[in-house]
Amino acid sequence: MSNLCPPPSPAVAKTEIALSGESPLLAATFAYWDNILGPRVRHIWAPKTEQLLLSDGEITFLANHTLNGEILRNAESGAIDVKFFVLSEKGVIIVSLIFDGNWNGDRSTYGLSIILPQTELSFYLPLHRVCVDRLTHIIRKGRIWMHKERQENVQKIVLEGTERMEDQGQSIIPMLTGEVIPVMELLSSMKSHSVPEEIDIADTVLNDDDIGDSCHEGFLLNAISSHLQTCGCSVVVGSSAEKVNKIVRTLCLFLTPAERKCSRLCEAESSFKYESGLFVQGLLKDSTGSFVLPFRQVMYAPYPTTHIDVDVNTVKQMPPCHEHIYNQRRYMRSELTAFWRATSEEDMAQDTIICTDESFTPDLNIFQDVLHRDTLVKAFLDQVFHLKPGLSLRSTFLAQFLLVLHRKALTLIKYIEDDTQKGKKPFKSLRNLKIDLDLTAEGDLNIIMALAEKIKPGLHSFIFGRPFYTSVQERDVLMTF
Amino acid sequence: MISAPDVVAFTKEEEYEEEPYNEPALPEEYSVPLFPFSSQGANPWSKLSGAKFSRDFILISEFSEQVGPQPLLTIPNDTKVFGTFDLNYFSLRIMSVDYQASFVGHPPGSAYPKLNFVEDSKVVLGDSKEGAFAYVHHLTLYDLEARGFVRPFCMAYISADQHKIMQQFQELSAEFSKASECLKTGNRKAFAGELEKKLKDLDYTRTVLHTETEIQKKANDKGFYSSQAIEKANELASVEKSIIEHQDLLKQIRSYPHRKLKGSALCSGETEHTQDQTSQAATTSHPDESADTDLYTCRPAYTPKLIKAKSTKCFDKKLKTLEELCDTEYFTQTLAQLSHIEHMFRGDLCYLLTSQIDRALLKQQHITNFLFEDFVEVDSRVAEKQESVPPKPGPGRPPSRSLEECLIPQVLISVGSYKSSVESVPIKMEQELGDEEYKEADVAEMSSFDPQENLDYLDMDMKGSISSGESIEVLGTEKSTAVLPESDSQASLTVPLSPQVVRSKAVSHRTISEDSIEVLSTCPSEALIPEDFKASYPSAINEEESYADDSEGAIHFQASVCAPELGEAEEGGLETPPSQIDSSCCIGKESDSLRVPLSTPAHTPSDQDGVVSIPPQRYRQKDQGFHVDFVVENANPLRDSSSEGFPADELDPSHLLASRDVSKTSLDNYSDSASNMSSLASTSSDRTPSSAHPTGPSSERHKKRAGQNALKFIRQYPFAHPAIYSLLSGRTLVVLGEDEAIVRKLVTALSIFVPNHSRYAKPVKHWVSSPLHITDFQRWKLIGLQRVAAPAGAGTLHALSRYSRYTSVLDLDNKALRCPLYRGALVPRLADHRTQIKRGSTYYLHVQSMLTQLCSKAFLYTFCHHLHLPAHDKETEEVVAGRQASFLKLTLGLVNEDIKVVQYLAELLKLRYAQDAPGTGHPMLRFDYVPSFLYKI
Repeated sequence: MSNLCPPPSPAVAKTEIALSGESPLLAATFAYWDNILGPRVRHIWAPKTEQLLLSDGEITFLANHTLNGEILRNAESGAIDVKFFVLSEKGVIIVSLIFDGNWNGDRSTYGLSIILPQTELSFYLPLHRVCVDRLTHIIRKGRIWMHKERQENVQKIVLEGTERMEDQGQSIIPMLTGEVIPVMELLSSMKSHSVPEEIDIADTVLNDDDIGDSCHEGFLLNAISSHLQTCGCSVVVGSSAEKVNKIVRTLCLFLTPAERKCSRLCEAESSFKYESGLFVQGLLKDSTGSFVLPFRQVMYAPYPTTHIDVDVNTVKQMPPCHEHIYNQRRYMRSELTAFWRATSEEDMAQDTIICTDESFTPDLNIFQDVLHRDTLVKAFLDQVFHLKPGLSLRSTFLAQFLLVLHRKALTLIKYIEDDTQKGKKPFKSLRNLKIDLDLTAEGDLNIIMALAEKIKPGLHSFIFGRPFYTSVQERDVLMTF
Repeated sequence: MISAPDVVAFTKEEEYEEEPYNEPALPEEYSVPLFPFSSQGANPWSKLSGAKFSRDFILISEFSEQVGPQPLLTIPNDTKVFGTFDLNYFSLRIMSVDYQASFVGHPPGSAYPKLNFVEDSKVVLGDSKEGAFAYVHHLTLYDLEARGFVRPFCMAYISADQHKIMQQFQELSAEFSKASECLKTGNRKAFAGELEKKLKDLDYTRTVLHTETEIQKKANDKGFYSSQAIEKANELASVEKSIIEHQDLLKQIRSYPHRKLKGSALCSGETEHTQDQTSQAATTSHPDESADTDLYTCRPAYTPKLIKAKSTKCFDKKLKTLEELCDTEYFTQTLAQLSHIEHMFRGDLCYLLTSQIDRALLKQQHITNFLFEDFVEVDSRVAEKQESVPPKPGPGRPPSRSLEECLIPQVLISVGSYKSSVESVPIKMEQELGDEEYKEADVAEMSSFDPQENLDYLDMDMKGSISSGESIEVLGTEKSTAVLPESDSQASLTVPLSPQVVRSKAVSHRTISEDSIEVLSTCPSEALIPEDFKASYPSAINEEESYADDSEGAIHFQASVCAPELGEAEEGGLETPPSQIDSSCCIGKESDSLRVPLSTPAHTPSDQDGVVSIPPQRYRQKDQGFHVDFVVENANPLRDSSSEGFPADELDPSHLLASRDVSKTSLDNYSDSASNMSSLASTSSDRTPSSAHPTGPSSERHKKRAGQNALKFIRQYPFAHPAIYSLLSGRTLVVLGEDEAIVRKLVTALSIFVPNHSRYAKPVKHWVSSPLHITDFQRWKLIGLQRVAAPAGAGTLHALSRYSRYTSVLDLDNKALRCPLYRGALVPRLADHRTQIKRGSTYYLHVQSMLTQLCSKAFLYTFCHHLHLPAHDKETEEVVAGRQASFLKLTLGLVNEDIKVVQYLAELLKLRYAQDAPGTGHPMLRFDYVPSFLYKI
C-alpha cells in the first residue's frame, strides 16, 4: 500500500509511546485542513513496537483521508463531530473527531484520529463512547489553548514585529499527548484485562451454596443494589485481586454483554489507574491499603459510580444521574473557564489547573452511603440461593430477573413518554408512576430509572433535572445571605 | 480517596476572590451547556424531531462521472419522509469522502486493464447543523462504459440519532453488506453479460473487417497498400487487442467468487461475514460450483453488431441506471432488502436496544419463555440466523416468516420469490391480514394461535357510557356459598357450619371496595341462582360431602394426555378410592357420554392406569376429596356432535346465558376513561417501536391494541380481577356474546393474560358457535362463545351450562361474570382500574413485565430442589406440603389465590419440562370445583 501513498509531509512530527502490554491502537494523528494544500498531518502518535504496524506514509494517507470532504463541513458552533470509518480495503478502522478552531490566526478544521486494525472492530465498539468522551474533552481544552495562543501571538507580533507562528503552533500537541497516551494505555489494559462477554456464574458469588458464604449478605445486597442504581457503573477496590475480581464478575452479571466488554478486571500484581467511563473496574490497593481516586475523572464519568471496598465491606454511591450530570457540567465549565482565564503557561499546565469559578465549590464528599433500599434485588438474592448451584438454574433465574428489570425500564420510559407527550409537557405524576408500575420502594425506582437512563439518555435530567437545578439555585441564593 | 492535585485547587480561595470580573467570559462555543436540556423544548425525545426529515430513511447516491454526486433514490420513496432535507447537499457530503484509493482501471505497466475487486467501506458521519447522521456503505459497481469501468455508489442510512447509528453499527453493517452483495452479484452478472455482448460485437466486427481487408487485398493489384487498407488493418489490430482485453476482463469477473473467498480467510470477522453472504448468495442461487459460470453465461440469443472504430466520448453517452447496471432481479431484491433494513431499524433506539436485550435474555430461558412469550423460539431462531447461519426456510415455521427471514436467498432464486419477499414485509402483512380474519377457523387454525386474526375487531373503538367507577352488585351468590361456602351445590343439604364456613361467609358478605361490588344477597336463595349455574346433578351431594373433607377445597377432574413418564410418577399419588367416585356425578355422567367421542376406552374414575397427571406432590391430598381422573384422547380435535344429545331435563338454559332482556349494550358503547387516549395512541406510529426482527403474528400493532382493549376492560368491568385470575390459574374463561366482533375483541384483549401450554399454540379460541365439548376445555383456556337464540343455540348453551360450574363465564351481553372469588394481591397490581397508564402499548409492556416476574416465581417454585422432595425417608407428605405452602407464602410473598396461580404455572413448567417433544400435548384437564360468585354490573 505504501507505494500508492503520497510521501509524508516532512513537517510531521511523531511521538513514539512505550506501552507495557499489547497495543490494539496502530496510531493516533492530529491533522488540519490547510487552505492551500488541503488536509495535512501535524502530529503522529504511535506505540513503540519492534514491528512496524503502519508506515508513516500510510498513517499520513489515512489521516488526510479523515478530513476529506470536510471542506463542506456544516456544523453547529463549537461542535465536535465524530466520524467513524471502516476501510476494509486498508484493513483499518479510524475514529476521527472533527472540530473547528482558531490557530495562528486562521480558523480552520482539525481532526484528531485514532487508527486501529479492522480486526479490533468488535473489541473497539463497546469502548467507542469512552474514547470519544475523553478525546472530546481534551479537544475542548485544546481548542481554548489554540485560541489563546493566537491571541498571545498576535500580541507578540505586534510588540516584537516577528513571525513566530510555527513555534507557537506546536504547543497544543503536548496537551493532546496528555490524553492520547492514557487512551492508548486504556485500550492496552482492556486488551488484556477486559471482562469476557460471557461470564460463568461459577466464578461469581452467585455460585455460593448459600448467601453469605463468600461475603456478607447485607454487603452483597448493598453492592448489587447500588451498582444497579448507579447505572451499572462501579469501582471495586481491595487488597486481594481474587476477591476483587470475584465481585467484579458478580456485578458484571447484571450488565449487558457490550457493557461487560467495557469493564475491566483487576491486575493481579500492580494496580491499574482508575479509568473514567468504564462500567465496572477492579482496582488493587497499594501497600498502605489505600487507593486514590482522581476526583476529576470520577466526575467526568458518564454515570455516577458505586465505590465498593471488599476489604471492609463498604458500599458508597455517588448522587443519582441528574445530580451527577449537573455537577459534572459545572465542573467542566469551571475547568474550561479557568483555562480561558489562565494567564501563564504554568496556570495552564494540565496537572495543576484545577479550576473553579467563584460561584462553584464542588462537593468533594461525593460518595455517600446507600440510602434507598430496594425490594427487587433483595427478593432476588433471597430467592436465588434456593436454587441448586452448579446447574443452569441460577443463570436462568438471573436472566429472568434482568428481563424483569429491562421490561420495567422500558415500561417506565413509555409511561413517561405518554404522560409528557414525548417531552412536550413536564412530568408531574411521579407518585402515580410509582404506584402504577409497582415501584413504590425508592430503591426500586432508582434501579429502574438508572436502567432507563442507559437506554434513554437524559431521562433523569428531564424528570428531576429542572427541579433539582432550581433547588440548587435557591440554595445558593439562600447561602449568600 | 480523592487525589491531592484535584483538591488543591479548591483551597485557593484568595484567587477566586481576586478573579477579575473584567476578564472576557468563556465563549459559549468553547464551553458545555450546564443543563442537558437547557434550550427551549429540548428533552430526551427532541433530538429525534430536530431534523428536517420525519423519520429515518435510506438514500442511494452515486458519484456520477458526468454530474458528480447525485441522489438516486430513497427508501421509503416518499417525499414526506425526507421532507425539506437537502438530498443533493447530503449526497455531496457523503460521496465526497474519498473512501478508497485503490487503483482501478489500467495500471501503468500492465498490458491489460485490471479489475480491482474493492472491498466495501463503511463510514459514519453527520451534519450536526442539519441534525442528520448517516451510516454510509460505499460500494463500487462495474460498467464497461464508465471511466475505469467503475461506478462508485453508496447506500446511506440517515437518522437524526447519532447514537443509534453507532450503537447499531454492526447490525447495520451486516444488513447493508447483504444488500451490497446482492447489488454486486447482479452487477457482475450484468457486467459479464455486457462483456459477452461486446465480445460478440468485436468478433463480428473483426470478421467484417477481416473480410473487408481481404477484399481490399484482392482488389489491390498495385503491390502496395492504400491508406484505406492500412487504416482497416490498424482497425483490425485494434479490435484484436480489444478482444483480448475484453476476454481478460471476462475472465477476471468470472473468477471473482473464488478469488474473494480465498482472500476472505485473511480478513476480519466482518469481512468474513460479508463474504459468507457472498458465498451464501452464490450457493443459494447456484447450488453447485459450475453454476457460478452459468451466472455469467446463460444469456438469451444476441445479435452482434458492428462496432465503430471511434467510440462516443463520455459526455455524449447516457450512463446506465442502477437497475441496468445490475440485473433487474437483483436490483429489486436489493430494494426489498433495503426496505427490510428500513423497517428493521425504524423507531426509537431505546426500543431497538430493549428488543435486542430481550431476545438475548429470553434465549437463556427456554424452560419458561413459552408461558407468556409469543413464539420466542422462532424469534430466537431468527436472531441466530441473522447472526451467522445461512438462512433456510424451516419446515415448521409460517411461510411468511421464513420468507422474510430468508429474504436474500429466496429472492435470488427467482423473481417470483422476490414478490413473496416483498409481501412478507411486516407492514404489508398487517394490512393484508385483516382480510382473512373473518375466515372460519379450520382445523389447522385451531392448533395454532393467530392473534392477528382479530385486527379488524380490535380496530373498532371501544366506546362506552358507564364509567369505570360505577358500582356493581353481586346479584346473587349461590346458596351453597352462603351456607357452605366451599360448595355450590344443593340447597337442601344441611351441613353444620364449620369455622371455615363462617370465615367464608364473612368473605361472601364483604364489600369489595376496590371494585365497588355490593353484595345484595347472600341468602341461600335458589331463585337467585341462574338455572344454568345450578348444580342439577344428584352427585353434588356427594361432592359436598367429599368437599367438606377436602382440605384443598377443590375437586379435581383430570383428563390428561397420556404421558407415561408422568403417569407413572402420579400413580402413587392419585389413588382415588373407587368408592369415592360417584358415577352419577355430573362429570361422572359426562364421562359416560364422552366415551363415544373420545374414541378411547375412557377410564372410569376408578381406573387409575395410565392416568396422566402432574408431579406427584401436587395432588397427594386429593384422596381426601372427590377426584375423578380420566383420560381424554386429545388427538381428536373435532367436536363430536353426539355430545349434544342431552336429556331433556338438562336443557335448561339460564336467564344469564340466554335472556337478552338486559340492555344489550355492546362493549363499544361504554364510556372509557381512557378513550380519549386512543386517538393519542395512534399518533405515535411514526416512532412506534418496531421490532428489529418482526415477530409475525404478535406484531407491535397487535400488542398495542390488545393492551388497549385489556386496559379498557379492567376500567370498565369492576370484576376484571377474578376474570384475570381465572385465566392465570388455568380455569377456562368463556366469553359469551352475540356480537362476534365484540367477543373476538375482548378475547384477544384477555389473551395477554393466558399462559401458553407450548411454544406453538396459544390456548385461546376466539370464536366458537357450536356447543362446547370437554376437550375444548382441555385445549382452550379462553373461549369466545357465540350466543345464539333458542332453539338453535340451545345445544350450545346447554353444553356450557353442563360445565359452567367448572369454568368461568363472562357474559358480555348481560355484563355479568360468574367465577371464583379472588382475594390475592397479584392481579390488582397487574390490572388496577385506577392506573394512569394511558396507552395500550404501555399497558401491554406493564403486563409483560409483571407476568415475567410471575414466571420467575413459578420457575423458582418449580425448580427449588428441596421443596418437592422429602428431606428424609420419614418425612411425611404433609410436612412437604407444609414446606411448599410456607415457601409460597414467605419466600415468594404470595397470598390467598395467588398461590394457585403460581402452582398452575409451575404445573405447566413441569409438564413442559417433562415432555420429550415440545408442543405435542396439552396439559391435563383440571376442574377446580370451587364456589363461584356471580358479579354483575
